Amino acid sequence: MPRSVIVIGSGVAGTAAAWGARGRGSKVVLVSAGAGASAFAGGAVDDVPWEQRTRAAHALGLEAHATAAKLPGALLEFVGALGVWDVPAARGCYLATMAGRVRPARGRDRALLDLEALGRGGRVLLPRVSRPGWDADALARALGDDPFAKALKLQFEAVDAPVLRFDEERRVTDADLAARHDDPARLAWLGESLRSAVAEGTGVAAVLLGPWLGLGLGRADKLAALVGLPVGEALIGAGSPAGLRFEVARDALFKAGGIEVISRRVRAVGVAGGDASGGTARFAVSLEEKDASLRADAVVLATGGVSGGGVIYTPAEHGAGADLPSGGRVPFALSLTAPVRLGDGRGALEATSSLFGPALDTVAWPTGSRQSLLEAVGVQCTGIRAAHGLFAAGDAIAARPRTVLEAAATGWHAGVEAASTG
Amino acid sequence: MQASPVRLRRDDTDVDVVVIGGGVNGVGVARDASQRGLRVALFERNDLAFGASGNSSGMIHGGPRYLTNDPHVTETSCRDSGHIQAIAPHLLFRIPFLAPVERSARSRVMFTLMDAFFEAYDRYQPFKRGKRHARLSADELRQLEPGLAGDLMGGFSMDEWGIDGARLCVANAVDAMERGAKVYVGHTVERVERREDTGAVVAVRYRDRHTGAGGRLRTSVVINATGAWSSITAALGGLPPTASRVRPGKGIHIVYDRRLTSYAIMGQTIDGRQIFMCPWENVTVIGTTDDDFYGDLDGVRANSEEVRYLVQGIARVFPAIRNARAIGTYAGVRPTLHAYGPSEDELSRDHQIIDHAVHGAPGLFSMIGGKLASYRLFSEEMADVLAKHFGIGLRCATHVTSLPGGDATVDPFALAERAGIDAVAARRLVYRHGSRALHVEERMKARPREAVAVCPCEPVTEAEVRYTVRHELARTVDDVSRRTRLGLGACGGMRCAARCGQIVASERGLPPREGMRQAINFLERQALTRVVALGPEQARQEALAIASVRSELGLMGDDDLATAPAWRQIAQSEPGEQSAHSRAQGEVVCPDP
Ligand SMILES: Cc1cc2nc3c(=O)[nH]c(=O)nc-3n(C[C@H](O)[C@H](O)[C@H](O)COP(=O)(O)OP(=O)(O)OC[C@H]3O[C@@H](n4cnc5c(N)ncnc54)[C@H](O)[C@@H]3O)c2cc1C
Ligand SMILES: Cc1cc2nc3c(=O)[nH]c(=O)nc-3n(C[C@H](O)[C@H](O)[C@H](O)COP(=O)(O)OP(=O)(O)OC[C@H]3O[C@@H](n4cnc5c(N)ncnc54)[C@H](O)[C@@H]3O)c2cc1C
Repeated sequence: MPRSVIVIGSGVAGTAAAWGARGRGSKVVLVSAGAGASAFAGGAVDDVPWEQRTRAAHALGLEAHATAAKLPGALLEFVGALGVWDVPAARGCYLATMAGRVRPARGRDRALLDLEALGRGGRVLLPRVSRPGWDADALARALGDDPFAKALKLQFEAVDAPVLRFDEERRVTDADLAARHDDPARLAWLGESLRSAVAEGTGVAAVLLGPWLGLGLGRADKLAALVGLPVGEALIGAGSPAGLRFEVARDALFKAGGIEVISRRVRAVGVAGGDASGGTARFAVSLEEKDASLRADAVVLATGGVSGGGVIYTPAEHGAGADLPSGGRVPFALSLTAPVRLGDGRGALEATSSLFGPALDTVAWPTGSRQSLLEAVGVQCTGIRAAHGLFAAGDAIAARPRTVLEAAATGWHAGVEAASTG
Repeated sequence: MQASPVRLRRDDTDVDVVVIGGGVNGVGVARDASQRGLRVALFERNDLAFGASGNSSGMIHGGPRYLTNDPHVTETSCRDSGHIQAIAPHLLFRIPFLAPVERSARSRVMFTLMDAFFEAYDRYQPFKRGKRHARLSADELRQLEPGLAGDLMGGFSMDEWGIDGARLCVANAVDAMERGAKVYVGHTVERVERREDTGAVVAVRYRDRHTGAGGRLRTSVVINATGAWSSITAALGGLPPTASRVRPGKGIHIVYDRRLTSYAIMGQTIDGRQIFMCPWENVTVIGTTDDDFYGDLDGVRANSEEVRYLVQGIARVFPAIRNARAIGTYAGVRPTLHAYGPSEDELSRDHQIIDHAVHGAPGLFSMIGGKLASYRLFSEEMADVLAKHFGIGLRCATHVTSLPGGDATVDPFALAERAGIDAVAARRLVYRHGSRALHVEERMKARPREAVAVCPCEPVTEAEVRYTVRHELARTVDDVSRRTRLGLGACGGMRCAARCGQIVASERGLPPREGMRQAINFLERQALTRVVALGPEQARQEALAIASVRSELGLMGDDDLATAPAWRQIAQSEPGEQSAHSRAQGEVVCPDP
């Protein structure tokens, strides 16, 4: 009989876990409460935080990409199946950010412009668009001033080319504007507009736009074909349509893979008592607003960290009302109850000896290579194992790098293990 | 009026008066002295309103605490509050207070006493267009503020005015400059030179903290208006620190993401101190503490204990505060008169001018103590001393001359329409700049692109950012934030700091990377002021902000970030000291010009 696996969380880690377990022939049910970090992130695909990589490369006197680790085949296979990212097997890419930096990354959402792929030299055009957060002239100046841009010998230039069609588009959200480019006619119009801008100059290598190129997949490639040059988005740290594109790709993957998805919050994961039906299921997963619980041989917690809503900050003082808090307690909690312990990389979290909560004065923002406490908190694991038959993946694991590839790799691994371990 | 300017315009001086300190008292006296025709230079070590003046509770009160000892002081305070309102009407907003009285053995007596007290205060309220107090039953209190808790026997309403302290400082500084004063921000005075024989002041030596360049300016009068830094400054003039002693009383405030109540509410801490919760501009502020502070005055920050002490106190009257979303804290150090004592006489004043001639340093004066609310009066008293010193007869006119922007009212709705910005943004713009909002509007009309909002939380347009750099001495993202509240909203600057840095850099002709560096500095500093007040909701936002900044800007690698004081900015521009990013590239982010 195939083993049954329940994956909790539908971020990158949960998706990879479901895909991995399904690939090993398990019956997979995925339960998710909604959007997590994967849906907010900007589309850069890293294995370790990029500034860490840059620092390491510099210390070794190497180019940033020279330290890019070769990725395991299974991981690349998952990335390929999902189809939303481009992660080159052995090198990295360079992305332009909305804050005006050129930064290395291990991979990218396909709609983001890869500056590495442009070769060396050339002009990148930025259309002037009257929207908050997009000042083509200032952005071009900032990007051109970046040392990576200088190393790539790229020039950035603002140009006049209509991108907005209606006045109200000056104010709609990035995602709204992006959605409009899912319409082929609108995309064709934009292609035409950019093509004439490009035609006016010489040595143009690419066109850089804000995060506006569709919620569906492949819009940027289509646009590039229309313009005859690479066209892509700049990276925005949070609230990019890249998160929505991930969700579109993920849902397609679930559908194709026959993975059942339940949209509900999980209340608790418990060890199942005697099973009336005589099954061997080890775990009972209870959902909110539902009496009957789900059963499975193994469970993967891919519930994310503080940013994804999987870990909640709960100092004792919160909700204490007019009086003193009722007592010291562990100031973080999982968003569901499960037989696991939370840690921060330095050991298990314990109740603080303060009636109120921890002194966050120095630990809640990262310093140097030390993670912030808010990033580090997660399930204590050995590798991906939290308890017998219970696995964790992605941001849910304590003190691992908070990156997309880390989530994908641990997710896939947890899914495979959940499918095979007795 | 035509007095002989005997000692004025001496050949051996570059200016008549050097003012040290760009807090409200420094800029106040610079304005008054320039208005009376003196040549003034002001040096500010950090930024205008960097100290107590930009980190106060922001209230222009009428000095009710002097009522019992010296009602005359209350009267002058109320009159002066009225004056400030008259010269800067755009900057003041009414703050109606509720003072609930808890039922206890003494509450009846308490109630009667308080009633009599407010009754007495009512006599002076008309001077500042204040409303009379009202007695309220417990039910009425709860009707006005349903969130009030406790067994209340009743309470009172009471009327005060709020102000943005940083805007007040900027307005005074701009006015002084328009009257010929030279204002140097980011310049610290390092030494006050005095003659060896007479001890008289001859010059100040200063240094530009960014470029490191030093200079000397000849003057015969120096005014030490450095608030909590006062004793340090006295030492720069070769005096013992005790010659200008203040008690440094650190006070913190916690900021919440919205206006939680319609009324300010008075409460008490566990040790009986009076604290308050107050709707202030777009946010709610609770404050404040008072603890002796002997740390680095350039890097004052709230800590978790102070935050909890305040929240605990407010929760007794307004329990929902525990579930509200704190988005930041700020801290300042009061320059409280050191020589105060229990005697009524000393309590009746809270500011004092020291003529250091008594310490053998003629020409050196210290302004110590004071309040935002009494800055104009204090400045007038100081300028009177100067007028006498220089033998000029001109009287003070600061109470009848409008501050910049205070001369006419501007209709925000009409402005919104003309400039093509939304009404809320226009309202905030007019609040900050009064009639000078029209100058910002001109920019937007000439370059419609500049009407785009840079900061979505506190609607600040690109035109306003450029205006503050060009006309209000802003040099960094921090400075812009101090003048406009940019980046102080719920998202903590995650959305606007980098953009603001680009604008500041372009306006000042600096390399874009310098703007980026400023943005990262700002984000880090703001994060450190937020984390001490972190609650469940803001924790997730904070984690998102960290991830977002990491992704888009990259985080600095400095290991001393945890204790980062404001001087880091300086350290970084010093040769040899480089940031993580510059190290990575083997070049200096911010080369000395
Ligand atoms: C703003 C931002 C920018 C980022 N930038 C980058 C970057 O540039 N490069 C990079 O590599 N990485 C970046 N990251 C990090 C990366 O996005 C995360 O590490 C990764 O997406 C984590 O995926 P995850 O699946 O582990 O968690 P999440 O995506 O957070 O998924 C958690 C899932 O669990 C669900 N869940 C939680 N609790 C329950 C419950 N009780 N019941 C049911 N479901 C539940 C949530 O609804 C959600 O679906 C960024 C993250 C953020 C937030
Ligand atoms: C928590 C708190 C709440 C308060 N609430 C209120 C209130 O509600 N109402 C009210 O009326 N008052 C209030 N006050 C009091 C009021 O803010 C201060 O009394 C007033 O701002 C003092 O102004 P100042 O100019 O003397 O000092 P500051 O504003 O502190 O200015 C001193 C300046 O001198 C500069 N400086 C120092 N050394 C040098 C140097 N060597 N060279 C050049 N510059 C130098 C500093 O950078 C600083 O900017 C409050 C104060 C605090 C701390």
